[in-house]
Amino acid sequence: MTGARRRILVIEDDPETAEQLVDFLETRGYATDLAADGNEGLRLAQSAPYAVIVIDRMLPGIDGIAVIRRLREAGTVTPALIVSALGEVDDRVRGLRAGGDDYLVKPFAFVELLARVEALARRSATVVKETVLRVGDLELDLVSRTVNRGGRAVELLPREFQVLEYLVRNEGHVVPRAMLLEHVWDLHFDPTTNIIDVYVGRVRRKVDSEQAYPLIHTIRGVGFCVRAPR
Amino acid sequence: MLLAKALRSSTFKFALVSIAVFGAVVIALFGYVYWSTAAYVLGQTDSAIAAERGSLHRAYESSGHGGLVAAIEQRLADRRFDGFYLLADPSYSVIAGNLSQWPSMLKESGEGWSQFNSDAPKPDASADRVLLRARYETLPDGFHLLVAKDIGDARRFMNGIYGVLAFTVLFVFLLAAVASVSVTRRTVGRIESINATSRAIMESGLGRRIPLRGTHDEWDQLARNLNSMLERIEGLMGEVKQVTDNVAHDLRTPLMRMRGRLEKASIGRREAEGDQSLISAAIADLDDVLRMFSSLTRISQIEAANRTAAFRTVDLAEVAAEVVELFDAAAEDKGGHIRVVDGEPVLVSADRDLLFDAMANLVDNAIKHGRAAGEVTVAVGRNDGGAVIAVADDGPGIPADEHLHVFRRFYRLERSRGTPGNGLGLSLVAAVARLHCARIDMFDNAPGLRVELHFPSAAEYPERGQGIANEGVAP
Repeated sequence: MTGARRRILVIEDDPETAEQLVDFLETRGYATDLAADGNEGLRLAQSAPYAVIVIDRMLPGIDGIAVIRRLREAGTVTPALIVSALGEVDDRVRGLRAGGDDYLVKPFAFVELLARVEALARRSATVVKETVLRVGDLELDLVSRTVNRGGRAVELLPREFQVLEYLVRNEGHVVPRAMLLEHVWDLHFDPTTNIIDVYVGRVRRKVDSEQAYPLIHTIRGVGFCVRAPR
Repeated sequence: MLLAKALRSSTFKFALVSIAVFGAVVIALFGYVYWSTAAYVLGQTDSAIAAERGSLHRAYESSGHGGLVAAIEQRLADRRFDGFYLLADPSYSVIAGNLSQWPSMLKESGEGWSQFNSDAPKPDASADRVLLRARYETLPDGFHLLVAKDIGDARRFMNGIYGVLAFTVLFVFLLAAVASVSVTRRTVGRIESINATSRAIMESGLGRRIPLRGTHDEWDQLARNLNSMLERIEGLMGEVKQVTDNVAHDLRTPLMRMRGRLEKASIGRREAEGDQSLISAAIADLDDVLRMFSSLTRISQIEAANRTAAFRTVDLAEVAAEVVELFDAAAEDKGGHIRVVDGEPVLVSADRDLLFDAMANLVDNAIKHGRAAGEVTVAVGRNDGGAVIAVADDGPGIPADEHLHVFRRFYRLERSRGTPGNGLGLSLVAAVARLHCARIDMFDNAPGLRVELHFPSAAEYPERGQGIANEGVAP
């Protein structure tokens, strides 16, 4: 991954938030460009290829949604993650309708932002059609919807299979709870309970118990990650 | 002063316009009555005169001059005739008749109709000048003939009618003026009392109410509606204050803890492990605060607008099955189990995300506060045409007198203080229910608690927003 694959445009007007974002993304190996207002952001976004644009909803000059709309009208398809301090319920819909690809409400954990940025960056890379997913000694057959680990079948309910599939597809990356709820259950809210943890806990029991090493890891305060030991 | 106020009043202006239009119509109507009566009366006289003239002509044609004079003489002698006749020669000298002379203004004008005063004695010998209507003509031999009738009575009759009509118009105007002034005064008075109350409310607070007169008329209705609106606003303001107090309380606790930790860290010596645990604890506290904050804004957002744009046809049974499946693991962790009763499809128009969230909250409560190793059931069905979701547990339940309170924000039963939660779950359920015009009922499940969400049947749906006024919370 070089060049555009690791280059992120951050459009954020609050200097402190912007600095934190840039610092965090750079420690994770991304190159970043920073724009402090909508016009500059628009100019930068069209001047060079980026893997992902992280854009604040409320900006001086033109606001975030207008920037994305203009980019899309101009034919720029770089995935955009909208970051907003506005409430999620209606604003989210408006942001996605304008051409945003994902939406995150302030305040957020940087790890969650990273997870979403990486998901978008992967999406802008090529999508390979696979029929079998493998992580370590775990094998998911996407056609027969069966799972086996080290040659032994693992019995999963259909929804549990979907959860595992989503985690495996994002192997090595953190999947925040809200993203899991969005992609597996198609629900767009942040559950106030620990219900997702309990659910993933059961999947983990079925997949990881009595095995040589665990595959499903909980990242405290954020979500989950499937990773095989190297 | 009242007059100046009345003149500014739109009611009074409207009354004036009404009076003007009404008055014009009355005047036109009465004018027509007067004109048609006059035409009728004059027509009667004219046809009588024409008849007399006809018979005189016949006498003239049959026996010439002599016959005409004889006919006139005969009429004058007969008391049954009340007409006036005059026959004059070509130089207007009177030959026969009961008028002393040919009226001077009728000379030289051939023939026609005329009206004039004459001092000829009336047939009934009463004095005075008489008003005559006359038909005059020049006969073929150059003589002049005039036949007339006294129309004084008719004229007096018409004057009488004219007087009555004029008086009536005047009276109607006067009556209308009095009525409009009193209606205006009454209207302005009632509006003024509402205005006075509004001003008092703006100046001194929501405690005031508009006085009722007990007349049950539309003014009282308006006042009653405004009063109940004020009551609702006052109630909401009270709730807002309550919520603000609770938010302040519930925020202060974790914020205080955080502050304490940070202070401790800043005073104490830098030490990697201790700092790390302090920072982690502070982040966990902050996450609690943020989660509560987003729950609150979410509830307000649901409550603020009629967010019906995201409404789709949703199968309750499907949502229930998904919720149950999601919580299956959680129930298992507590040693209990959860199941759906009666999974027939039940379609409602709803926001799937919110409905899922509300159901998840109910099920979460049922698992958390139900019996350990107990059973939670989610039933979906129809009742009186409307869809019903019932979530039941077999735990300790909630005392009946607490049923209403549990929907208040931050309300927590004494015994649940120890369990995790912020007292916002059921508030969210209530907000979602209100958005869907659904009613929430709570029952003793003997043992346990059963919470039912009753959706309105399709027939009751159109009045969306109506249910928001009357909270769908009943014990």
